[in-house]
Amino acid sequence: MGSLIDLLPLAYPDAVVVVGAALLGMTAGALGVFAVLRERSLVGDALAHSALPGVAVAFLVTGAKDVGTLLAGAACAGIVGALMMVGIERTSRIRPDAAIGVVLSSFFSLGIVLLTYIASTNNANQAGLEKYLFGQAAGLLERDLIVMAILSAISLTLVALLFRALKTTLFDPNFAGSVGLPVRVLEVAMTALLVVAVIVGLRTVGAILMVAMLVVPTVAARQLAGRLAVVLPVSALIGAVVGVTGALLSARAELPTGPVIVLVGFLVVMACVLLAPGRGVIWRARKLARDRRRTLTEGVMVDIETAIHAGPPPTAAELALVSGRDPRVLRRVLRRLDREGMLARDGDRLHLSEIGAAAAHAVLERRNLWSAWLEHGWQLQLPDAREPNPSDLRASLGDHYADRLQALAVKES
Amino acid sequence: MSDNLSIILTAGLVATAAGLLGPFLVLRRVALTSDAVSHAVLPGIVVIWLIFHTRAPLPVIGGAAVFAILCVLAIDALKGTNLVRGDAAIALVFPALFSVGVLGITRYASDIHLDLDSTIYGEIAFSPFETLPIAGVEIARSIVLLSGVALVNILLVVLLWKEFKATTFDPEFSRTIGISPKLLSRLLLVAVAITAVTAFESVGAILVVTLLIVPATTAYLLTDRLWLMVATTLAIGWISAVAGYWGAVSVDASIAGAMGLVAALCFAIALFVSPSYGLIARSLQRRRRSRSVQRELALAVKPQGAGADT
Repeated sequence: MGSLIDLLPLAYPDAVVVVGAALLGMTAGALGVFAVLRERSLVGDALAHSALPGVAVAFLVTGAKDVGTLLAGAACAGIVGALMMVGIERTSRIRPDAAIGVVLSSFFSLGIVLLTYIASTNNANQAGLEKYLFGQAAGLLERDLIVMAILSAISLTLVALLFRALKTTLFDPNFAGSVGLPVRVLEVAMTALLVVAVIVGLRTVGAILMVAMLVVPTVAARQLAGRLAVVLPVSALIGAVVGVTGALLSARAELPTGPVIVLVGFLVVMACVLLAPGRGVIWRARKLARDRRRTLTEGVMVDIETAIHAGPPPTAAELALVSGRDPRVLRRVLRRLDREGMLARDGDRLHLSEIGAAAAHAVLERRNLWSAWLEHGWQLQLPDAREPNPSDLRASLGDHYADRLQALAVKES
Repeated sequence: MSDNLSIILTAGLVATAAGLLGPFLVLRRVALTSDAVSHAVLPGIVVIWLIFHTRAPLPVIGGAAVFAILCVLAIDALKGTNLVRGDAAIALVFPALFSVGVLGITRYASDIHLDLDSTIYGEIAFSPFETLPIAGVEIARSIVLLSGVALVNILLVVLLWKEFKATTFDPEFSRTIGISPKLLSRLLLVAVAITAVTAFESVGAILVVTLLIVPATTAYLLTDRLWLMVATTLAIGWISAVAGYWGAVSVDASIAGAMGLVAALCFAIALFVSPSYGLIARSLQRRRRSRSVQRELALAVKPQGAGADT
């Protein structure tokens, strides 16, 4: 660990924080998957709040105020809280969010009562116990890093070894039970892993911001990938990158580490939610706009083609009248068709160019094929019960059946 | 008015205001919005300090309310993209807002004492000391404020009872009869935000979060009827307020903490002894059913005639 810290081109305290943030980001990123995908994103919140009575009890029992004892107390309380959450959900009709809320508020109330009790016993040593809930990355020591690294290594190895069992339990607990997996044990194991992540983070970013560290990487990774085997490593990677970026920025700007890391993470999530290919908000909006534009353009081309068949080539105004389209929209579409070389104008009368006519014919053929499918599709006797794709019937039926469909339509007329 | 009565009345009013909204939050699976709001208001307090240099309650409540509403609407919008589930949306929004608040404090307000304990996390034990003269009687400010909030919530829930009920249990149906589930969900969340912010200032965040979640969850274990659930929630809230105060005074502990613990105790009791959904009732039910199945099996496998005399 020491050599790694020396390798970084940073001042020693900054290097410790950066390594710590990377470790935390990676661990929380990988383990958070098991909270977010089970719709229990706020488990981290409850675990973080339940650390308070743990810290108080540890202090009451041992009277010591060293980091190790208090963190052990927090971990024990976290595990008790986690078991209670799982228990409440399993044995009653309470949903996960309410179970988390009940555990969170009960434990925190208990913590407050214990703290006031400790304060009333006039123990001068007790000041600042609750500060353990707010992280101080600057106080991170090399020894803490070693503990974090060991905890991370153990929990990540466990995830790797149990990957298939965890995956099955995650997505289909009933099936997992029916093939003989110990579902209850696995569910407790997933929650216990989260306890580890929260305890690791408590010192670096603090209890409240730990919630974000568990959720941010998974939500971001989920926008980019759909398979658990990909989401898990991508999430760990995003967590580590967010941690390191936030730590470096906070060191440069001399701001507290935790909040900066969380804000960097929030920006990353927003970027993924907006821009993710195939899924993001902007990507979907652009696809919708593109599809609408294409449908409109094809419609106008077919209008022109039909008008030419029926009589003299129309002017733009006539076309608007016949097709019932808004003249302004029509003018815009015509300009686009001009740009694409689909239109040949003869004064103010509209013709289709050669490629324009070909495109209009293709559209018409597609439409005819679709009406033929609606009318005669049942006569085709397809070898399987597939539902063809309406936007490209020929490709999804295959040439053979498309030709037969056309033949049936011609025979009918 | 005596201090004891004043504190109990303050907590009871919080229990009333929260108890009217809590059941809807629990039924809609957004119980943890309250916890999110309790952290998300921090930047509001910082902004008010930076602009007006004051920690007076009314401006602080105003600033906090702006960010609380921003928080719930951001959660709603993120959920509306269908890319992020509700629980994850909560977990993304409130830590970000909280971080903005912490950074604001360290950057611009570290020279003054603007810590969490003294601003949003108010202390219920001090609530009787700030009073307003109303019709010649000195009444605690928190009681005046919270009565207003409780009254607004009563009006909201009574006037929109049918709408809240329909959108909670069957959003698709309510859309077809012209009630917008989106609008009502936002209305509910904004009401929660305003209630929480007002109550934080007088009783502290954790008691508000507790009273929004725990009594309603307890009532959910006890009944299937919505109006009964709301009534039970209110009753449990008041029991927590009275018994919690009594307990806190007798062992000299935090009042808010003790009230929270009483609520938790009520939940634990209901979890075990609820007549229809409790652990005991369910295990009895299971045993009865397995015995009846066994009896039927035993009858079915007996050869004809052999069991005739039993």
